[in-house]
Order: sequence, then structure tokens, then C-alpha cells
Amino acid sequence: MTKEDKVKINQLPTGVPGLDEIVGGGLPEFSFNIIAGAPGSGKTTLAHQFVFANATPERPALYFTVLGESAIKMLRYQQQYTFFDPTLLPDSIRFINLSQVVLEKDLGTVLEEITKEVIKSNPAVVVVDSFRTMFRKPLDDMDLQSFIQRLALFLASWQATTFLIGEYAEDELRDNPIFTVADGLFWLRQTIERNSIVRKLQIIKLRGQASVPGLHTFRITDAGMQTFSRTFGLTANRRNAPGSKRLSFGIPEMDKMLGGGVREGDSVLVSGSSGTGKSVLATQFIAEGIRHGEPGIVAVFEERPQAYAERAATLGLDLERPQGNGKLEILYLRPLDLSVDETMHSILAAVQKIGAKRLVIDSLAGFEMALSPGFRADFRESLYRMIFALTGIGVTILSTVEVDESFTEFPFSTYSISFLTDDIIRLRYVSIDGQLRKIMTVIKMRGGNHSKDIREYEITSTGVVILGARLTNYQGLISGLPVRTNRSGVQEDAVLDPEIRTNI
Amino acid sequence: MTIPSEMRDWARQLLTYEAAADKCNRSTEPAAFCAYEKLRRSLVSFAGIAAFQSIASRALVLAQAEVPSLCAVRIAVDGALQGWSDVQPISTDKDQAGSQRGGEDPPGEAGSILIARILSLLLTFLGEALTLSLLRNAWPDATFDDRNSGNGRRA
Repeated sequence: MTKEDKVKINQLPTGVPGLDEIVGGGLPEFSFNIIAGAPGSGKTTLAHQFVFANATPERPALYFTVLGESAIKMLRYQQQYTFFDPTLLPDSIRFINLSQVVLEKDLGTVLEEITKEVIKSNPAVVVVDSFRTMFRKPLDDMDLQSFIQRLALFLASWQATTFLIGEYAEDELRDNPIFTVADGLFWLRQTIERNSIVRKLQIIKLRGQASVPGLHTFRITDAGMQTFSRTFGLTANRRNAPGSKRLSFGIPEMDKMLGGGVREGDSVLVSGSSGTGKSVLATQFIAEGIRHGEPGIVAVFEERPQAYAERAATLGLDLERPQGNGKLEILYLRPLDLSVDETMHSILAAVQKIGAKRLVIDSLAGFEMALSPGFRADFRESLYRMIFALTGIGVTILSTVEVDESFTEFPFSTYSISFLTDDIIRLRYVSIDGQLRKIMTVIKMRGGNHSKDIREYEITSTGVVILGARLTNYQGLISGLPVRTNRSGVQEDAVLDPEIRTNI
Repeated sequence: MTIPSEMRDWARQLLTYEAAADKCNRSTEPAAFCAYEKLRRSLVSFAGIAAFQSIASRALVLAQAEVPSLCAVRIAVDGALQGWSDVQPISTDKDQAGSQRGGEDPPGEAGSILIARILSLLLTFLGEALTLSLLRNAWPDATFDDRNSGNGRRA
């Protein structure tokens, strides 16, 4: 049987941003789906978005309400969402209340009533909200599974795509005969993690096509539900081959240390303790990219974009103009209850909007703090997914990370994430001649050779400036407490003499 | 709690429409009763008996404050009007003038107030667009003024 011989299953838009990608392109037409979850988890909103995205006067949506929330109350709140178009009622979307039939009759009569309305309206979409409230009475002539089976058969035969909405707890997922009948099972969760609420969606089952497995975070805003795929909407994208281009920091001596610059598509980690100039380096990296016509994104978590741009201005770097002409976006991601997927969505949207080539995440510590506590436990895994996805589309990422300064060890990061990065630049303080000076070294470059030198640098009014040649007359520099050896034969202090600084 | 003037206008339009409709002309029921029944059928199908019964009961209490003779009316469990035939004409100057003009029947104004109260509640809960769409569903051939469009639309 060739692919052409097989029946083509049309895919319908879910109407939920991000969800089409998660379900594998769209919801299979004529599928019989269940949306399950606890009260307040967003079940009705999801169904409404699907209904508003697909209903037409020719093929309307029938929305059966049963016991529970009345249509008046439901619509009072649902119409607040921006997707809600009141002009679609009643021609394209019809609400029908079945509560009296459910209260007074048996399931057979309920099925008859639904059948009658479906035959009358020829709907493309049918929603029963909440179908679970139908089963309050002791079952009589028709058991639950039989009812669902007959309903599913009938609605599929009438070419309707169906959603049954039901309130279920987690432990009801197992061995539930209703779920066997469904083609699609959408499970919505809302959990409290310390003081944050985290919403997650799981496609437990979807017949006929491959959905993205796992738990996907979602948010409900004025625009309704928005989902954030674990694959960041990049499942259809092919990974770019590593580029050969080298990206400059705008600091020639530093570019030399990096073997000509950062390889395009790399993930660079700049680590160091407070005040070592991580953000300055990051700003110079972005500004240099813009100077070369490479748009950039800066994701900041610890300060507002305006403050970030003002600080750059003190280094002589203009970040205002590129923001105005679409070459730069400074994203301030609202803190405390973000998911990595949501952050990624914001970053990706900005990357796609301006065609960004460089991304600065300043800093990973701020990023972690901005996340909902529940996501912090998975921060490393989330970072991996994010870096893999972004570098895969050719974006070069520079992340800053603060490490505690230690005079007994030389950590690269507090997150054990060095394996996630292609290149690591380590900044640190050293105690020399009664001064706290700064040194930098390139720890690793996955794509090629790099300098092994340990270089002293300063932060000046023009940014990071590397001083002189490598420090040859000290041992134990990376300990922070070097010992002068005078091995180079160079006169003491000459290396650190301001007169021979190489101002770049 | 006053009734928005638009709701009074819509209610009067419904009654006028019902009075003119062949079905009502042939029936012995007053236009207000027919309009109420049409609203009831539409809203019961949309929101259920209990929801309609609650709204109608609230509307009746509000209308009774304005038209005491509506105290004879009850809303049954299924939302149907009971005791409508006992409603006395309103004796306001405005209605007397209307009667003298040979216009509407006096209980019609009481009915119009009850209908206007129901519409006002729908307006409060659902907003104008959805209220209009409900009316459009119940009276597909009628035309109502849409406050937002300015030039009216079929509703």
C-alpha cells in the first residue's frame, strides 16, 4: 500500500497558538476527543478556541452544555477572550442545553437528543461540556461505555470532530474504558509549585498522527490558551550544519584567544563572579554583531531594557538606535512564574521577527530565578533543549553565569552545564601586588583550537580591554592567589605596566 | 435599577412584531405572552430551564416594582408565565395617551416592561452582541437597532 493509497486525514487548526505543532500539525478531522482535567484547568477555553477556529455557517459547531455551568455564565466569561467572536453566534456556533434531558431521562434519550440536533444542523464540530455530569444517576439501560461508543460512532459517521469535556483527577486515568474509545485524549493539569501556578498539557493519546510527547506548559491570557511545545515549535526545522564563520567580540585580542572569534552557531558561556565584566562582554558581543549587520537579541532578567541600554551607552555602545531600526531586541522576561518553554517562545518569536544571529542571555542565574520553582529543578535539562533548538537554527548564544569566587577551586559554572556549551570563557579575580585584578582564559572551544593564555584585562570606559601579553611570570593564577616566578625574565611588574597595555 | 432605553425599544419592537405576526393574530394570547414564550423557548434551548427560570424570576421581581399589577404573575418551574390573564392595565399618563391613540393594549406595556427586564439582564450578563444574537435566533426575520453599529442591523 503506497502512501497515495492511504486515506488522507485532514488536520483542523486547533485555534490554540502552539498546539497545532504539539498535536502533529492539527487535529485529525472527524476524531473523537476527550479533554480531561480538574476544574479550572482550561478545558472549556480549549474547546471554545477550537470551536471558534473551525465553525462556519455551513458547518456549524454544536456546543452541548449539560449540568454544571450554564451557557449564560460560561459565555459571560468566555467572551472576554479576544478569540471570542460574538458574530459567530448563533449561525456558526449554537449552544444547546441538555440538562433537563439528563435530569429527567435516561442516556438513550440523551443520545437521541444529540442525534436529533446533529442531524438538524450538520455540524463540523460537536462539544459536550461536561459529558461527565451525564453519569450521575445509576446507569440503567445503557451503560457508560456503550453510550460513549454509540455517540462516537454516530458523530464520526456524521463527519463531526468531537470534544467531550470531563473533570477527571489524575488517578482516574488508568483503566478507564471511556478513554479507550477516544481517538484523542488531552489532559490538562494545573499544579501549585510553592507560590506559582504551573499549567501543563499532555497529549496522552492521538490516533493517526505523531504528537509531541511529554508535558507542555501553557498559559491562559486575554487571548485564551497558548501552549509552549517542549520542542519549541522547531520539530519541522532541520538542524543547520555548524558554520565556519567566526563571530567577533569587537576585541581583537580576545578574538585571537578564540582562534578568530566564536564559531557561528556555538553556545558560549562567559562565567565569572560579580563585577568581572560578564555583562560588558555580552554587550560588546551584541554590539559588534549589529555593527556587522547581524541582528541580535538580549534576554535580560535582572534589569529593565532601558537600564541595559543606558549601561551600554556608558561604554560608548549605542543600543537605542538598533532597537529603533529592528536590529536589536532587548527582551525583559517577566519574572517568577515563567517556564523555559514560554521563555523560549518569546526568544524564538524575537529571533524570527528580526532574523537574529546573536543571542545574549544575561544571566542564567536571572533566568533561573524568573522560572516558576517547579521548573528550576529541570533547569539544566531545559537549558539543553533551549540551546540545542536555538543553535540548531544558526543562532549563536552567549550566556553569562555568575560563579562564586573561590581561592581553592576554579568552577566554570554553578549549573554543571559546561557540557551544554561549545565554548567557555572564564573570568576571575586575582590578587597581585596588593590589587584585585582580573584575568580571563578560554577554557574550551569545541570547534577548534584556542589560545591557552591567561590574560589580564580591565573594564574601561570603552568596555573590556585586554592588557599586554599573557601573564608568564606568575604561577597559580587560576587559584586567584598567584606566586611570582619571574620565569619570563621580564622585569617585575612590567607585564602589568599601564604603559604597555594594548588598548583595543 | 432602571431599564436601558434600548431595551425598552427592543421589547416594544418584539411586541409589535408579535402583534403583527400571523401566528399571534390568530391566537388569543396577547403579544407580550407570545414574545415571552418565544424568548423562553430560545433561552431554554440555549441555557437550560433552570437558567431561564432564574432570569425570568429576577426580571419579574424587578418589573413588579414598576408595574404592581404584575404581582399576579408567577414564573412556573419550567419558566412558563402563569397568571398573565390577571394582569391589569397600567394606568400611567403615557399609557392612557397611548390607549386614547388607539395604539397598544394596556397590558402590553406591562408585558413590554417584563420583556425589557429580561433583555436587560441578558445585556448585563452577556453583553449586547450576544443578546442580539439570541434575539436573532428567536426572531430571525426581525430587525433591531444595534447601538454599536449606529445604522442598525438585522438581529
